Amino acid sequence: MKPGMDRSARNCKGCDDSYTVTEAQIQRILAAPMFQSSERCVDDEVYAARLRECGSCPKLMSGTTCIVCGCIVQISAKYKEKSCPNPNDVRWRSVASH
Amino acid sequence: MSNQITINADIAKGTINRNIYGHFSEHLGRCIYEGFWVGEDSVIPNTKGIRNDVVEALKKLNIPVLRWPGGCFADEYHWKDGIGPSEERKRMINTHWGGVVENNHFGTHEFLLLCEQLGCEPYISGNVGSGTVQEMSEWVEYMTFDGVSPMAELREKNGREKPWKLKYFGVGNENWGCGGNMRPEYYADLYRRYQTYVRNYGDNEIYRIACGPNVDDYKWMEVLMREAAGKMDGISLHYYTVPKDWQDKGAATGFPEDEWALTLRKALWMEELITKHSAIMDQYDPEKRVGLIVDEWGTWFNTEPGTNPGFLYQQNSIRDALVAGLTLHIFHDHCDRVQMANIAQIVNVLQSVILTEGEKMLLTPTYHIFDMFKVHQDAELLDTHTTSARYEHGDELLPQISVSASKAADGKIHISLCNLDHSAEADVSIALRGLTQGLKTIKGTVLSGAAIDSHNTFEQPNAVEPAAFTSFTWDGAQVSAKLPAMSVTVLELIEQ
Repeated sequence: MKPGMDRSARNCKGCDDSYTVTEAQIQRILAAPMFQSSERCVDDEVYAARLRECGSCPKLMSGTTCIVCGCIVQISAKYKEKSCPNPNDVRWRSVASH
Repeated sequence: MSNQITINADIAKGTINRNIYGHFSEHLGRCIYEGFWVGEDSVIPNTKGIRNDVVEALKKLNIPVLRWPGGCFADEYHWKDGIGPSEERKRMINTHWGGVVENNHFGTHEFLLLCEQLGCEPYISGNVGSGTVQEMSEWVEYMTFDGVSPMAELREKNGREKPWKLKYFGVGNENWGCGGNMRPEYYADLYRRYQTYVRNYGDNEIYRIACGPNVDDYKWMEVLMREAAGKMDGISLHYYTVPKDWQDKGAATGFPEDEWALTLRKALWMEELITKHSAIMDQYDPEKRVGLIVDEWGTWFNTEPGTNPGFLYQQNSIRDALVAGLTLHIFHDHCDRVQMANIAQIVNVLQSVILTEGEKMLLTPTYHIFDMFKVHQDAELLDTHTTSARYEHGDELLPQISVSASKAADGKIHISLCNLDHSAEADVSIALRGLTQGLKTIKGTVLSGAAIDSHNTFEQPNAVEPAAFTSFTWDGAQVSAKLPAMSVTVLELIEQ
């Protein structure tokens, strides 16, 4: 379709459903093969501990989003190489990465 | 086929308004909060809550103007929520973008302080969609009234005795969409009414900007110009480069080769949009008094996987650098009508020049284009004729190169060149005529990438950065250059 002929572009861009985070979306991403890799991902125990840390953090929005980095914590907490992005209240330090 | 360029150094076609190099900052995702505002208690070095690293990097760009607070947010923003002691400010949910809690800690005083730190002009978008005439009128009074008045007293109570200088004021934003879903006839009448009360106090003279069309909505432009041209100084245009469609825009990195040329073709559509909208404006304003203000432009991709989609966080690659270069060239070409443009958005949102993550910060390829191109600000556009080779890829047929040349007040000539071809170098011959004296020196800077999605990360922040460009020879007033594939180059020519 020619640019500009896309009618959805005329509506409020921010009200689009694609801008919401749903549990189904998170689970669909976590089902990807890369999240089954023990080389790239932390084990279940570390993952749960990281999410507990995020769960009590005032920078967690709507139970899903870290407002310091914009990531969905259920996804970023999976990565071994990730660290807490908040320099004012560093978390995950007490949690071993693997 | 080579690329032949003729530049007439003695024929100026107008002044490239420095405001074409403007930026846009909305309360959206992490643009304001985390991008600019970290608060005075943060361990991130800051001055009165505004992070120093971001300000320092942006000052290097000579940013002329910054638009705020939206975007869609502007037509839900009630400015009185964002003044006074921060702990007493109203908390709300930013329903437009991701449901972020808006604590209003960044308000009018903080924005105008940011502009002072950046050394740029503020451009404020007022609320027509959900605000009142009184509210808009009082905001202007609060910021600019020098004397005894209720709003001036309120400003003084909040710690600012002297008024600010405020030139640019938008009367609404996207009122055809998120700003009220209005018909152009209705908005035109509202515009006439609201702008009446956007007063000039003392010697502060406001440049009033009406909400203009979305992309190719030529009817909107026609109606607004017909009904209100005499009551505006500028009218806005919004157009985003979306490679595929709004449902699946395409990825910012890792995209297939085909999307390179597709994206550049869509970026080049800006030329047609400005030409056609300008033709309508010419009917009602043949003297070109009213400026076309492209106050939202840039790439819009799928958000980075694993991030909140409402935050509109995307990576920024060498492809974005080409989009920026091409688009700025188009603005140069139309400098008789385009008086301001604001890329969306300055930090952490869409085609940003800066990305942050906690205390880390990186400069994107688009940042480097704005840095390399800043020499064009306020320069005289030079008459340039280009015969370009063809760049064919799949179904796409594009010119291989894009060129713009300008002469600065100090006499230096700058030529910026984009090679759109993602896989082939571009041989370029530049004939310079009309020089006052012979050439003394030429030096160049180039930005390119090793891959079509080369970009900077927090682990490798300098993967894409400008380098000295030496692949050229010159003899008299003839320059021959070999531009790398997918590159943007700026040459600086100094006469004897």
